[in-house]
Amino acid sequence: MDTTAKPQYDNGVVKYLTVGAIVFLVLGTFLGTFAASQLAWPALNFDIAEITFARLRVMHTNTVIFAFGGMTLMATAFYTVQRTNGVKLWSNSMAWWTAILFTIGLLATVVTISLGMTTGKEYHEQEWPLAIAIAVVWTMYTFNFVMTIASRNKETHSHVYVSNWFFLGMMIAITYLYVVNGLAIPVSLFRSYSLFAGVQDAMIQWWWGHNAVGFFLTAGFLAIMYYFVPKQAQRPIYSYRLSVIHFWALMFGYVWLGAHHLQYTALPDWTGSLGAVISLAMIIPSWGGALNGMLTLSGAWDRLRTDYILRFLIISLAFYAMSTFEGPVMAAKTVNALSHYTDWTVGHVHSGALGWVAMVSIGALYHMVMKLWNTEMYSMQLINFHFWLATIGTVFYIVAMWVSGIMQGLMWRAYDEYGTLAYTFAESVAAMHPYYAMRAFGGLLFFTGAAVMLYNVVMTIRMANARASKPVEATA
Amino acid sequence: MSRMEHYFSTDWSALTTQDWAGLIITVLVFIGMLITFALALRPSKRKELEEQKHKILEDD
Repeated sequence: MDTTAKPQYDNGVVKYLTVGAIVFLVLGTFLGTFAASQLAWPALNFDIAEITFARLRVMHTNTVIFAFGGMTLMATAFYTVQRTNGVKLWSNSMAWWTAILFTIGLLATVVTISLGMTTGKEYHEQEWPLAIAIAVVWTMYTFNFVMTIASRNKETHSHVYVSNWFFLGMMIAITYLYVVNGLAIPVSLFRSYSLFAGVQDAMIQWWWGHNAVGFFLTAGFLAIMYYFVPKQAQRPIYSYRLSVIHFWALMFGYVWLGAHHLQYTALPDWTGSLGAVISLAMIIPSWGGALNGMLTLSGAWDRLRTDYILRFLIISLAFYAMSTFEGPVMAAKTVNALSHYTDWTVGHVHSGALGWVAMVSIGALYHMVMKLWNTEMYSMQLINFHFWLATIGTVFYIVAMWVSGIMQGLMWRAYDEYGTLAYTFAESVAAMHPYYAMRAFGGLLFFTGAAVMLYNVVMTIRMANARASKPVEATA
Repeated sequence: MSRMEHYFSTDWSALTTQDWAGLIITVLVFIGMLITFALALRPSKRKELEEQKHKILEDD
Protein backbone atom coordinates (compact mmCIF):
# COMPACT_ATOMS: atom_id res chain seq x y z
CA MET A 1 0.00 0.00 0.00
CA ASP A 2 1.29 3.42 -1.00
CA THR A 3 1.35 5.55 2.12
CA THR A 4 3.03 8.56 0.51
CA ALA A 5 0.86 11.60 1.13
CA LYS A 6 0.07 13.26 -2.20
CA PRO A 7 -0.66 16.97 -1.86
CA GLN A 8 -4.25 17.91 -2.66
CA TYR A 9 -4.42 20.93 -4.93
CA ASP A 10 -7.21 23.40 -5.76
CA ASN A 11 -8.00 22.18 -9.26
CA GLY A 12 -11.57 23.45 -9.73
CA VAL A 13 -10.64 27.02 -10.60
CA VAL A 14 -7.82 25.80 -12.87
CA LYS A 15 -10.29 23.57 -14.73
CA TYR A 16 -12.66 26.51 -15.21
CA LEU A 17 -9.86 28.75 -16.51
CA THR A 18 -8.51 26.01 -18.79
CA VAL A 19 -11.84 25.44 -20.52
CA GLY A 20 -12.52 29.20 -20.55
CA ALA A 21 -9.20 29.83 -22.30
CA ILE A 22 -10.02 27.31 -25.02
CA VAL A 23 -13.50 28.81 -25.56
CA PHE A 24 -11.94 32.28 -25.90
CA LEU A 25 -9.32 30.87 -28.29
CA VAL A 26 -12.13 29.71 -30.57
CA LEU A 27 -14.03 32.99 -30.21
CA GLY A 28 -10.93 35.16 -30.65
CA THR A 29 -9.65 33.34 -33.74
CA PHE A 30 -13.15 33.47 -35.22
CA LEU A 31 -13.23 37.26 -34.74
CA GLY A 32 -9.73 37.52 -36.24
CA THR A 33 -10.63 35.43 -39.27
CA PHE A 34 -13.79 37.49 -39.76
CA ALA A 35 -11.80 40.75 -39.52
CA ALA A 36 -9.18 39.41 -41.97
CA SER A 37 -11.96 38.41 -44.38
CA GLN A 38 -13.44 41.92 -44.20
CA LEU A 39 -10.11 43.34 -45.38
CA ALA A 40 -10.16 41.00 -48.37
CA TRP A 41 -13.90 41.32 -49.02
CA PRO A 42 -15.15 44.59 -47.43
CA ALA A 43 -18.80 43.79 -48.13
CA LEU A 44 -18.59 41.38 -45.20
CA ASN A 45 -19.06 44.25 -42.76
CA PHE A 46 -22.73 44.28 -43.91
CA ASP A 47 -22.91 47.99 -43.01
CA ILE A 48 -23.43 47.06 -39.36
CA ALA A 49 -21.53 49.52 -37.17
CA GLU A 50 -20.91 47.01 -34.35
CA ILE A 51 -18.95 44.66 -36.62
CA THR A 52 -17.11 47.08 -38.87
CA PHE A 53 -13.38 46.35 -39.15
CA ALA A 54 -12.34 49.19 -36.83
CA ARG A 55 -14.29 47.65 -33.96
CA LEU A 56 -13.99 43.99 -34.92
CA ARG A 57 -10.20 44.15 -35.03
CA VAL A 58 -10.06 45.53 -31.48
CA MET A 59 -12.61 42.96 -30.28
CA HIS A 60 -10.29 40.32 -31.78
CA THR A 61 -7.13 41.64 -30.11
CA ASN A 62 -8.83 41.92 -26.72
CA THR A 63 -10.31 38.43 -26.99
CA VAL A 64 -7.12 36.68 -28.02
CA ILE A 65 -4.62 38.65 -25.94
CA PHE A 66 -6.48 39.32 -22.72
CA ALA A 67 -9.30 36.76 -22.67
CA PHE A 68 -7.48 33.74 -24.17
CA GLY A 69 -3.98 34.79 -23.12
CA GLY A 70 -5.06 36.09 -19.72
CA MET A 71 -7.08 33.01 -18.84
CA THR A 72 -4.22 30.78 -19.98
CA LEU A 73 -1.83 32.73 -17.76
CA MET A 74 -4.19 32.49 -14.81
CA ALA A 75 -4.84 28.78 -15.33
CA THR A 76 -1.16 27.91 -15.67
CA ALA A 77 -0.03 30.21 -12.84
CA PHE A 78 -2.57 28.74 -10.40
CA TYR A 79 -1.69 25.22 -11.60
CA THR A 80 2.09 25.55 -11.42
CA VAL A 81 2.41 27.66 -8.26
CA GLN A 82 0.71 24.92 -6.26
CA ARG A 83 2.82 22.12 -7.67
CA THR A 84 6.20 23.87 -7.61
CA ASN A 85 5.66 24.99 -4.01
CA GLY A 86 3.87 21.86 -2.77
CA VAL A 87 0.97 23.83 -1.33
CA LYS A 88 -2.67 24.66 -2.11
CA LEU A 89 -3.67 28.12 -3.26
CA TRP A 90 -3.52 30.69 -0.48
CA SER A 91 -7.17 31.52 -1.16
CA ASN A 92 -9.25 29.27 -3.40
CA SER A 93 -12.26 31.57 -3.09
CA MET A 94 -10.21 34.60 -4.14
CA ALA A 95 -8.97 32.61 -7.15
CA TRP A 96 -12.57 31.84 -8.10
CA TRP A 97 -13.58 35.51 -7.74
CA THR A 98 -10.55 36.49 -9.83
CA ALA A 99 -11.50 34.02 -12.58
CA ILE A 100 -15.18 34.95 -12.69
CA LEU A 101 -14.67 38.72 -12.50
CA PHE A 102 -11.95 38.50 -15.15
CA THR A 103 -14.35 36.65 -17.46
CA ILE A 104 -17.10 39.22 -16.89
CA GLY A 105 -14.62 42.11 -17.36
CA LEU A 106 -13.35 40.73 -20.66
CA LEU A 107 -16.84 40.03 -22.00
CA ALA A 108 -17.86 43.57 -21.02
CA THR A 109 -14.77 44.89 -22.80
CA VAL A 110 -15.67 43.13 -26.05
CA VAL A 111 -19.30 44.33 -25.86
CA THR A 112 -18.41 47.97 -25.07
CA ILE A 113 -15.85 48.05 -27.87
CA SER A 114 -18.45 46.77 -30.33
CA LEU A 115 -20.66 49.65 -29.14
CA GLY A 116 -17.88 52.11 -29.97
CA MET A 117 -16.72 52.87 -26.43
CA THR A 118 -12.94 53.05 -26.56
CA THR A 119 -10.04 55.09 -25.24
CA GLY A 120 -8.35 54.68 -28.62
CA LYS A 121 -5.16 53.50 -26.88
CA GLU A 122 -3.88 50.30 -28.43
CA TYR A 123 -4.20 47.22 -26.18
CA HIS A 124 -5.75 49.48 -23.55
CA GLU A 125 -9.08 50.27 -25.15
CA GLN A 126 -11.25 49.70 -22.08
CA GLU A 127 -12.85 52.88 -20.77
CA TRP A 128 -12.01 53.87 -17.22
CA PRO A 129 -14.62 51.91 -15.16
CA LEU A 130 -13.62 48.64 -16.86
CA ALA A 131 -9.92 49.51 -16.73
CA ILE A 132 -10.14 50.05 -12.96
CA ALA A 133 -12.11 46.80 -12.51
CA ILE A 134 -9.53 44.83 -14.53
CA ALA A 135 -6.64 46.39 -12.57
CA VAL A 136 -8.30 45.34 -9.29
CA VAL A 137 -8.85 41.77 -10.55
CA TRP A 138 -5.23 41.62 -11.76
CA THR A 139 -4.05 42.75 -8.32
CA MET A 140 -6.14 39.99 -6.70
CA TYR A 141 -4.50 37.46 -9.02
CA THR A 142 -1.02 38.78 -8.18
CA PHE A 143 -1.69 38.90 -4.44
CA ASN A 144 -3.01 35.34 -4.34
CA PHE A 145 0.00 34.11 -6.32
CA VAL A 146 2.49 35.87 -4.04
CA MET A 147 0.76 34.67 -0.88
CA THR A 148 0.72 31.08 -2.18
CA ILE A 149 4.49 31.21 -2.64
CA ALA A 150 4.87 32.84 0.78
CA SER A 151 2.79 30.13 2.46
CA ARG A 152 4.98 27.24 1.19
CA ASN A 153 6.94 25.04 3.57
CA LYS A 154 10.35 26.73 3.48
CA GLU A 155 12.14 23.60 4.67
CA THR A 156 10.89 21.27 1.93
CA HIS A 157 10.62 24.01 -0.73
CA SER A 158 13.35 26.50 0.12
CA HIS A 159 13.95 27.44 -3.52
CA VAL A 160 11.24 29.03 -5.65
CA TYR A 161 11.27 27.43 -9.13
CA VAL A 162 12.12 29.77 -12.01
CA SER A 163 8.70 29.61 -13.70
CA ASN A 164 7.32 31.45 -10.65
CA TRP A 165 9.87 34.22 -11.17
CA PHE A 166 8.69 34.77 -14.72
CA PHE A 167 5.04 34.79 -13.62
CA LEU A 168 5.80 37.23 -10.83
CA GLY A 169 7.86 39.52 -13.09
CA MET A 170 4.97 39.57 -15.54
CA MET A 171 2.41 40.33 -12.83
CA ILE A 172 4.37 43.21 -11.28
CA ALA A 173 5.35 44.80 -14.60
CA ILE A 174 1.86 44.57 -16.08
CA THR A 175 0.33 46.12 -12.96
CA TYR A 176 2.35 49.31 -13.09
CA LEU A 177 2.42 49.58 -16.88
CA TYR A 178 -1.33 49.12 -17.20
CA VAL A 179 -2.11 51.57 -14.41
CA VAL A 180 0.26 54.33 -15.59
CA ASN A 181 -0.83 54.08 -19.22
CA GLY A 182 -4.47 54.12 -18.13
CA LEU A 183 -4.21 57.34 -16.09
CA ALA A 184 -7.02 59.48 -17.45
CA ILE A 185 -9.53 62.15 -16.58
CA PRO A 186 -13.09 60.79 -16.79
CA VAL A 187 -15.66 63.19 -18.21
CA SER A 188 -18.59 60.76 -18.22
CA LEU A 189 -19.28 57.12 -17.37
CA PHE A 190 -17.82 55.85 -20.66
CA ARG A 191 -15.61 58.68 -21.81
CA SER A 192 -12.20 59.76 -20.52
CA TYR A 193 -9.14 61.60 -21.76
CA SER A 194 -5.56 60.50 -21.20
CA LEU A 195 -3.55 62.35 -18.58
CA PHE A 196 -0.73 62.59 -21.12
CA ALA A 197 -0.70 64.54 -24.35
CA GLY A 198 1.22 64.68 -27.61
CA VAL A 199 4.47 62.81 -27.92
CA GLN A 200 4.51 62.04 -24.17
CA ASP A 201 1.23 60.21 -24.62
CA ALA A 202 2.70 58.28 -27.54
CA MET A 203 5.78 57.38 -25.50
CA ILE A 204 3.74 56.19 -22.49
CA GLN A 205 1.41 54.30 -24.85
CA TRP A 206 4.26 52.36 -26.44
CA TRP A 207 6.06 51.92 -23.14
CA TRP A 208 2.90 50.00 -22.20
CA GLY A 209 2.23 48.63 -25.69
CA HIS A 210 5.58 46.95 -26.21
CA ASN A 211 5.73 45.73 -22.65
CA ALA A 212 2.30 44.15 -23.02
CA VAL A 213 4.19 42.08 -25.60
CA GLY A 214 7.35 41.81 -23.49
CA PHE A 215 5.82 40.88 -20.18
CA PHE A 216 2.26 39.68 -20.77
CA LEU A 217 2.97 37.78 -24.01
CA THR A 218 6.60 36.86 -23.40
CA ALA A 219 7.56 36.62 -19.71
CA GLY A 220 4.25 35.02 -18.73
CA PHE A 221 4.43 32.46 -21.52
CA LEU A 222 8.09 31.77 -20.79
CA ALA A 223 6.92 30.80 -17.31
CA ILE A 224 4.64 28.31 -19.05
CA MET A 225 7.56 27.09 -21.17
CA TYR A 226 9.87 26.61 -18.18
CA TYR A 227 7.32 24.42 -16.43
CA PHE A 228 5.48 22.55 -19.18
CA VAL A 229 8.36 21.74 -21.58
CA PRO A 230 10.28 19.76 -18.89
CA LYS A 231 7.05 18.18 -17.62
CA GLN A 232 5.84 17.07 -21.03
CA ALA A 233 9.32 15.95 -22.11
CA GLN A 234 9.87 14.30 -18.71
CA ARG A 235 13.35 15.73 -18.69
CA PRO A 236 14.79 18.61 -16.64
CA ILE A 237 15.35 21.95 -18.35
CA TYR A 238 18.70 21.99 -20.18
CA SER A 239 20.33 24.64 -17.97
CA TYR A 240 18.81 26.13 -14.84
CA ARG A 241 21.50 28.82 -14.69
CA LEU A 242 20.65 29.89 -18.21
CA SER A 243 17.02 30.22 -17.17
CA VAL A 244 18.08 32.57 -14.34
CA ILE A 245 20.16 34.66 -16.76
CA HIS A 246 17.25 34.65 -19.21
CA PHE A 247 14.92 35.94 -16.50
CA TRP A 248 17.09 38.81 -15.32
CA ALA A 249 18.10 39.88 -18.83
CA LEU A 250 14.43 40.04 -19.76
CA MET A 251 13.47 41.99 -16.65
CA PHE A 252 16.30 44.51 -17.00
CA GLY A 253 16.12 44.84 -20.76
CA TYR A 254 12.54 44.68 -22.01
CA VAL A 255 11.27 47.94 -20.52
CA TRP A 256 13.56 50.00 -22.80
CA LEU A 257 12.19 48.76 -26.10
CA GLY A 258 8.92 50.70 -26.52
CA ALA A 259 10.50 53.67 -28.29
CA HIS A 260 11.27 51.52 -31.34
CA HIS A 261 7.56 51.81 -32.21
CA LEU A 262 8.03 55.55 -32.69
CA GLN A 263 10.98 55.82 -35.10
CA TYR A 264 10.83 58.87 -37.36
CA THR A 265 8.20 60.64 -35.24
CA ALA A 266 8.27 63.70 -32.95
CA LEU A 267 10.01 61.58 -30.30
CA PRO A 268 13.68 62.60 -29.77
CA ASP A 269 15.90 60.69 -32.17
CA TRP A 270 18.13 59.28 -29.42
CA THR A 271 15.13 57.63 -27.75
CA GLY A 272 14.37 55.62 -30.88
CA SER A 273 18.07 54.72 -31.21
CA LEU A 274 18.12 53.50 -27.59
CA GLY A 275 15.01 51.41 -28.25
CA ALA A 276 16.63 49.89 -31.36
CA VAL A 277 19.96 49.15 -29.66
CA ILE A 278 18.38 47.43 -26.65
CA SER A 279 16.04 45.55 -29.00
CA LEU A 280 19.07 44.14 -30.84
CA ALA A 281 20.75 43.28 -27.53
CA MET A 282 17.64 41.35 -26.48
CA ILE A 283 18.25 38.78 -29.23
CA ILE A 284 20.92 37.21 -26.99
CA PRO A 285 18.76 36.35 -23.93
CA SER A 286 15.76 35.52 -26.11
CA TRP A 287 17.71 33.00 -28.17
CA GLY A 288 19.37 31.70 -25.01
CA GLY A 289 15.94 30.98 -23.58
CA ALA A 290 14.66 29.40 -26.78
CA LEU A 291 17.73 27.16 -26.99
CA ASN A 292 17.35 26.29 -23.32
CA GLY A 293 13.86 24.99 -24.02
CA MET A 294 14.79 23.17 -27.22
CA LEU A 295 17.95 21.57 -25.84
CA THR A 296 15.85 20.10 -23.05
CA LEU A 297 15.03 17.49 -25.68
CA SER A 298 18.72 16.65 -26.30
CA GLY A 299 18.99 12.93 -26.80
CA ALA A 300 15.22 12.51 -27.00
CA TRP A 301 14.27 14.25 -30.21
CA ASP A 302 12.56 11.09 -31.41
CA ARG A 303 9.75 11.85 -28.96
CA LEU A 304 8.54 14.56 -31.31
CA ARG A 305 7.44 11.80 -33.67
CA THR A 306 4.91 10.43 -31.23
CA ASP A 307 4.19 13.17 -28.68
CA TYR A 308 1.97 15.70 -30.42
CA ILE A 309 1.65 17.92 -27.35
CA LEU A 310 5.42 18.20 -27.15
CA ARG A 311 5.40 19.20 -30.82
CA PHE A 312 3.26 22.24 -29.98
CA LEU A 313 5.65 23.22 -27.19
CA ILE A 314 8.82 22.82 -29.25
CA ILE A 315 7.58 24.49 -32.42
CA SER A 316 6.45 27.41 -30.28
CA LEU A 317 10.10 27.87 -29.29
CA ALA A 318 11.15 27.88 -32.94
CA PHE A 319 8.62 30.67 -33.58
CA TYR A 320 9.78 32.44 -30.41
CA ALA A 321 13.37 32.42 -31.70
CA MET A 322 12.26 33.57 -35.12
CA SER A 323 10.08 36.45 -33.94
CA THR A 324 12.62 37.63 -31.34
CA PHE A 325 15.12 37.92 -34.19
CA GLU A 326 12.68 39.55 -36.60
CA GLY A 327 11.49 42.14 -34.04
CA PRO A 328 14.92 43.66 -33.35
CA VAL A 329 15.72 43.71 -37.06
CA MET A 330 12.50 45.67 -37.66
CA ALA A 331 13.42 48.00 -34.78
CA ALA A 332 16.63 49.07 -36.57
CA LYS A 333 15.98 52.43 -38.20
CA THR A 334 16.95 51.43 -41.74
CA VAL A 335 14.59 48.45 -41.78
CA ASN A 336 11.92 50.36 -39.85
CA ALA A 337 11.84 53.01 -42.59
CA LEU A 338 10.51 50.29 -44.89
CA SER A 339 8.51 48.12 -42.50
CA HIS A 340 6.70 50.65 -40.31
CA TYR A 341 2.95 51.10 -40.93
CA THR A 342 2.95 48.12 -43.30
CA ASP A 343 1.54 44.59 -43.01
CA TRP A 344 5.03 43.31 -42.21
CA THR A 345 4.36 44.48 -38.63
CA VAL A 346 1.09 42.53 -38.61
CA GLY A 347 2.93 39.45 -39.87
CA HIS A 348 5.61 39.84 -37.20
CA VAL A 349 3.03 40.18 -34.45
CA HIS A 350 1.26 37.04 -35.62
CA SER A 351 4.41 34.97 -35.92
CA GLY A 352 4.78 35.73 -32.21
CA ALA A 353 1.09 35.53 -31.31
CA LEU A 354 0.10 32.44 -33.28
CA GLY A 355 3.46 30.69 -33.50
CA TRP A 356 4.78 31.36 -30.01
CA VAL A 357 2.03 32.43 -27.60
CA ALA A 358 -0.85 30.33 -28.93
CA MET A 359 1.26 27.22 -29.61
CA VAL A 360 2.93 27.14 -26.19
CA SER A 361 -0.48 27.79 -24.59
CA ILE A 362 -2.13 25.01 -26.56
CA GLY A 363 0.60 22.56 -25.52
CA ALA A 364 0.21 23.55 -21.86
CA LEU A 365 -3.60 23.42 -22.02
CA TYR A 366 -3.60 19.90 -23.48
CA HIS A 367 -1.10 18.83 -20.79
CA MET A 368 -3.27 20.30 -18.02
CA VAL A 369 -6.49 18.75 -19.35
CA MET A 370 -4.96 15.27 -19.08
CA LYS A 371 -3.57 15.94 -15.59
CA LEU A 372 -6.60 17.74 -14.16
CA TRP A 373 -9.14 15.19 -15.33
CA ASN A 374 -6.66 12.34 -14.81
CA THR A 375 -7.28 10.87 -18.23
CA GLU A 376 -5.86 10.33 -21.70
CA MET A 377 -7.11 12.63 -24.45
CA TYR A 378 -10.22 11.56 -26.35
CA SER A 379 -8.19 11.53 -29.57
CA MET A 380 -4.43 11.95 -29.99
CA GLN A 381 -4.93 11.94 -33.76
CA LEU A 382 -7.06 15.07 -33.45
CA ILE A 383 -4.18 16.75 -31.59
CA ASN A 384 -1.90 15.85 -34.49
CA PHE A 385 -4.51 17.23 -36.91
CA HIS A 386 -4.74 20.40 -34.80
CA PHE A 387 -0.95 20.73 -34.84
CA TRP A 388 -0.79 20.72 -38.63
CA LEU A 389 -3.77 23.07 -39.01
CA ALA A 390 -2.16 25.52 -36.58
CA THR A 391 1.32 25.29 -38.11
CA ILE A 392 0.22 25.55 -41.75
CA GLY A 393 -2.28 28.30 -40.85
CA THR A 394 0.44 30.32 -39.11
CA VAL A 395 2.87 29.92 -42.01
CA PHE A 396 0.20 30.98 -44.54
CA TYR A 397 -0.59 34.03 -42.42
CA ILE A 398 2.93 35.28 -41.87
CA VAL A 399 4.20 34.60 -45.39
CA ALA A 400 1.21 36.52 -46.82
CA MET A 401 1.96 39.46 -44.54
CA TRP A 402 5.69 39.44 -45.25
CA VAL A 403 5.10 39.67 -48.99
CA SER A 404 2.25 42.14 -48.62
CA GLY A 405 4.14 44.32 -46.12
CA ILE A 406 7.39 44.55 -48.06
CA MET A 407 5.43 45.24 -51.24
CA GLN A 408 3.46 48.00 -49.51
CA GLY A 409 6.65 49.59 -48.17
CA LEU A 410 8.32 49.53 -51.58
CA MET A 411 5.24 50.89 -53.37
CA TRP A 412 4.82 53.75 -50.90
CA ARG A 413 8.40 54.93 -51.27
CA ALA A 414 8.73 54.47 -55.05
CA TYR A 415 9.31 57.65 -57.05
CA ASP A 416 9.20 58.17 -60.79
CA GLU A 417 11.75 60.11 -62.84
CA TYR A 418 10.01 63.41 -62.01
CA GLY A 419 10.27 62.84 -58.26
CA THR A 420 6.58 62.19 -57.72
CA LEU A 421 5.13 59.08 -56.09
CA ALA A 422 4.96 56.18 -58.52
CA TYR A 423 1.81 54.66 -56.98
CA THR A 424 -1.31 56.06 -55.34
CA PHE A 425 -2.30 54.67 -51.97
CA ALA A 426 -5.38 53.08 -53.56
CA GLU A 427 -3.12 51.20 -55.99
CA SER A 428 -1.16 49.75 -53.09
CA VAL A 429 -4.43 48.65 -51.45
CA ALA A 430 -5.57 46.93 -54.64
CA ALA A 431 -2.22 45.12 -54.90
CA MET A 432 -2.73 43.67 -51.42
CA HIS A 433 -5.92 41.78 -52.26
CA PRO A 434 -4.45 38.31 -53.01
CA TYR A 435 -2.35 38.45 -49.83
CA TYR A 436 -5.33 39.50 -47.72
CA ALA A 437 -7.28 36.53 -49.09
CA MET A 438 -4.28 34.27 -48.32
CA ARG A 439 -4.10 35.69 -44.78
CA ALA A 440 -7.81 35.05 -44.23
CA PHE A 441 -7.28 31.44 -45.37
CA GLY A 442 -4.38 31.02 -42.92
CA GLY A 443 -6.57 32.42 -40.15
CA LEU A 444 -9.37 30.05 -41.12
CA LEU A 445 -7.01 27.09 -40.78
CA PHE A 446 -5.90 28.28 -37.34
CA PHE A 447 -9.51 28.86 -36.24
CA THR A 448 -10.49 25.38 -37.46
CA GLY A 449 -7.67 23.93 -35.37
CA ALA A 450 -8.96 25.78 -32.31
CA ALA A 451 -12.47 24.40 -32.91
CA VAL A 452 -11.02 20.88 -33.23
CA MET A 453 -9.22 21.44 -29.91
CA LEU A 454 -12.43 22.53 -28.17
CA TYR A 455 -14.26 19.45 -29.49
CA ASN A 456 -11.43 17.15 -28.41
CA VAL A 457 -11.26 18.69 -24.92
CA VAL A 458 -15.04 18.59 -24.41
CA MET A 459 -15.13 14.92 -25.44
CA THR A 460 -12.16 14.18 -23.16
CA ILE A 461 -13.91 15.79 -20.18
CA ARG A 462 -17.16 13.94 -20.93
CA MET A 463 -15.21 10.68 -21.19
CA ALA A 464 -13.44 11.34 -17.89
CA ASN A 465 -16.67 12.31 -16.12
CA ALA A 466 -18.49 9.24 -17.44
CA ARG A 467 -15.67 7.03 -16.20
CA ALA A 468 -15.68 8.74 -12.80
CA SER A 469 -19.44 8.28 -12.37
CA LYS A 470 -19.34 4.53 -13.16
CA PRO A 471 -19.78 2.36 -10.06
CA VAL A 472 -16.51 0.80 -8.98
CA GLU A 473 -16.55 -2.91 -9.70
CA ALA A 474 -15.66 -5.17 -6.84
CA THR A 475 -12.26 -6.70 -7.21
CA ALA A 476 -11.33 -10.11 -6.00
CA MET B 1 37.65 67.99 -32.02
CA SER B 2 37.89 64.68 -33.86
CA ARG B 3 34.79 63.03 -35.28
CA MET B 4 34.78 60.44 -32.51
CA GLU B 5 35.22 63.08 -29.81
CA HIS B 6 32.40 65.08 -31.33
CA TYR B 7 30.15 62.01 -31.41
CA PHE B 8 30.72 61.17 -27.75
CA SER B 9 30.87 64.74 -26.40
CA THR B 10 28.17 65.69 -23.90
CA ASP B 11 27.11 69.08 -22.63
CA TRP B 12 26.73 68.05 -18.99
CA SER B 13 25.53 71.48 -17.93
CA ALA B 14 22.53 71.16 -20.28
CA LEU B 15 21.22 68.01 -18.56
CA THR B 16 17.85 68.55 -16.85
CA THR B 17 16.81 66.87 -13.58
CA GLN B 18 14.94 64.29 -15.61
CA ASP B 19 18.02 63.63 -17.77
CA TRP B 20 20.09 63.06 -14.63
CA ALA B 21 17.42 60.80 -13.13
CA GLY B 22 17.33 58.74 -16.35
CA LEU B 23 21.12 58.57 -16.55
CA ILE B 24 21.50 57.45 -12.94
CA ILE B 25 18.75 54.83 -13.26
CA THR B 26 20.32 53.50 -16.47
CA VAL B 27 23.76 53.16 -14.89
CA LEU B 28 22.33 51.55 -11.73
CA VAL B 29 20.30 49.06 -13.78
CA PHE B 30 23.40 48.17 -15.80
CA ILE B 31 25.45 47.60 -12.64
CA GLY B 32 22.57 45.62 -11.10
CA MET B 33 22.43 43.41 -14.18
CA LEU B 34 26.19 42.77 -14.05
CA ILE B 35 25.98 41.83 -10.36
CA THR B 36 23.03 39.50 -11.00
CA PHE B 37 24.79 37.75 -13.87
CA ALA B 38 27.96 37.36 -11.80
CA LEU B 39 25.94 35.85 -8.92
CA ALA B 40 24.13 33.42 -11.20
CA LEU B 41 27.22 32.36 -13.11
CA ARG B 42 29.77 31.97 -10.30
CA PRO B 43 31.08 28.38 -10.35
CA SER B 44 30.41 27.78 -6.63
CA LYS B 45 26.67 28.30 -7.24
CA ARG B 46 26.44 25.89 -10.16
CA LYS B 47 25.54 22.69 -8.28
CA GLU B 48 23.02 24.41 -6.03
CA LEU B 49 21.19 26.04 -8.95
CA GLU B 50 21.26 23.11 -11.34
CA GLU B 51 19.80 20.81 -8.66
CA GLN B 52 16.57 22.82 -8.75
CA LYS B 53 15.69 21.72 -12.26
CA HIS B 54 15.00 18.12 -11.23
CA LYS B 55 12.43 18.94 -8.56
CA ILE B 56 9.47 19.77 -10.79
CA LEU B 57 9.62 16.34 -12.38
CA GLU B 58 8.29 14.83 -9.15
CA ASP B 59 5.83 17.51 -8.08
CA ASP B 60 2.63 15.64 -8.92
